[in-house]
Amino acid sequence: MILVNNISKSFGNVQAVKDVSLEAPDGQITALLGANGAGKTTSMRMIYALIEPATGTVAIDGIDSVSDPIAARARMGILPDARGLYTRLTARENIQYFGRLQGMNDEIIDQRMKEMIERLGMEKFIDRKTEGFSQGQRVKVALARCLIHDPQNILLDEPTNGLDVMSTRGVREFLRDEKAKGKCVLFSSHVMQEVSAVCDDIVVIDAGEICARGSETELLAVTGRDNLEDAFVHLVTGGQS
Amino acid sequence: MNRAAFKTVYWKEVLENLRDKRTMLSSVLMGAVLGPLFLVGFMNIVVKMQQDKAERQLELPIINISKAQNLEKFFKAQGVKIVSINKTPEQSIKDKDYDVILEIDDDFASHIKNAKPAGIKIYYDDSAKGAAKVTVNRTRSLISAYEKQIGDLRLQLRGILPGLTNVIFIENHDLSTKTSRGAMFVSFLPYILIISLFVGSMYLAIDTTAGEKERKSMEPLFLNPVSRSHILMGKLAATSSFGLLTLVLTLMTFKATLPWYPFEKLGMSFELDLLSMLMIFVILAPLALLAGSIQTIIAAFAKSFREAQTYVSVLMFVPAIPTMFLTFMPVKEKLWMMIIPILNQNLIINQMIRGEKVVFSDLVLTVLSTLFLGLILAWVAIQLYNREKMLFSE
Repeated sequence: MILVNNISKSFGNVQAVKDVSLEAPDGQITALLGANGAGKTTSMRMIYALIEPATGTVAIDGIDSVSDPIAARARMGILPDARGLYTRLTARENIQYFGRLQGMNDEIIDQRMKEMIERLGMEKFIDRKTEGFSQGQRVKVALARCLIHDPQNILLDEPTNGLDVMSTRGVREFLRDEKAKGKCVLFSSHVMQEVSAVCDDIVVIDAGEICARGSETELLAVTGRDNLEDAFVHLVTGGQS
Repeated sequence: MNRAAFKTVYWKEVLENLRDKRTMLSSVLMGAVLGPLFLVGFMNIVVKMQQDKAERQLELPIINISKAQNLEKFFKAQGVKIVSINKTPEQSIKDKDYDVILEIDDDFASHIKNAKPAGIKIYYDDSAKGAAKVTVNRTRSLISAYEKQIGDLRLQLRGILPGLTNVIFIENHDLSTKTSRGAMFVSFLPYILIISLFVGSMYLAIDTTAGEKERKSMEPLFLNPVSRSHILMGKLAATSSFGLLTLVLTLMTFKATLPWYPFEKLGMSFELDLLSMLMIFVILAPLALLAGSIQTIIAAFAKSFREAQTYVSVLMFVPAIPTMFLTFMPVKEKLWMMIIPILNQNLIINQMIRGEKVVFSDLVLTVLSTLFLGLILAWVAIQLYNREKMLFSE
């Protein structure tokens, strides 16, 4: 369960995020939908306690992420926008590294590793060095390493960016399974079909501010459009088109 | 302190670097082998050149030799080969055809006959290096010998005891020990050892910071429930370890090449027993933290791996400063010098090479001051990576 209350952040004179509030409950997939540069990544970074918000609070399962970022991070599995792997390590070693940093012992890591390999279909490349991996393989490894500790809250920044159809489907399916297990999933995206396909709740962000929230049906009703893309354009242009 | 996280980061960085064979070869192995090989080669060449000059028949261009037939006979009797040149003496010295050229004054013979000082011009280049000076000195002493021979003869002819003009009899007592005589050559040793530390840790300092940022793995790493400080401590420890590894390998290479040093010809003795090697290691080990930290700090300001590499390479000149300073301006060790890292290591290792006893308090001061500065720099590096700005390369 993620509770965000009025967070803001400026870089120099640029106000990147202004008074953003949102709620991502357990057992639901929540999307942060916005165009490039709308403030999605900055908001996500504040929520997952990488950078400190200038105002407001973020609570992960009731833990304040500003005053106790380490405890808050332990409750989250985060796939950030940057997802570089260590190319001289195998996929398994990459995942193990993060598991150990999560404080897991090797036995539990192995158990959980088996599950992730099977669910994400990584059997063929798990013991290969990640140098030269395809985009799809890289995202799978990045996903597995950030979720190795089976976190209650899953945060993903544009998870299917650059993925082909099969990989995208695999990731979506994975997220639906996690939701079914009662996990809280929050992801940012600018891809309408994706948001439409997997999300229960949509938060629309534009120019650093939240401009609408609700389920897809609710957003269509409010804007009077018949597809999410038109509804989104209507929302971010303030009804101009 | 999260020890498990520290250890995890440390071993991951070590493993990853060991797998990079090209880097291991170019930094650790080359760093450890090239320096000592260069030193042994350099010393052999220098000694050989000096020996050649001292023992070979002296080839001496003399202009106007016909004006001094007596001198010519004397030189020939001393085994000098007199040659002629077809350039001006200035040009010939400039072109490095000869180290020294003599020119006899036109009225040389008549002045000798009339017991007046007869003139000889000596052309040479005082700024020329080592071996050329040997030739100049040989020439000068030959002329002095001739001068003394003629002078004594003149006194005898006038019925005066030649010894009468020897007011002072100088007896040389050279107190340089066998070991200290050739020590100048070995003054490069501390530099080679110190630079090996810097070379060994350079790659990791850049790769674990600027490199990790560039490959976009820094952000996911920092999203683990571990404080950034502990992650950076693990990285710094790994960086310093490779500096230490290179240092140990360099010491071993140096020890292995010792038999090929021309110590005999230099008239010096130098031995490196296990205890001395251990002592050198103890003195230099704290420098690994200093080197790793300062390289990490510099890499933090770079936007890319390449940029970091450029900056950190420039840093390599810093350890050379005390070595050059000591080579050209030998100083008496003072206590305050022992609190300046790199200078103090240079001084102590030079003392050991000269076979002097190292004062225990100097040793302690060297280790502590270097460790202290290293810890401060490590702290600065850690603070840098706690700043939000440092997280993203864009």
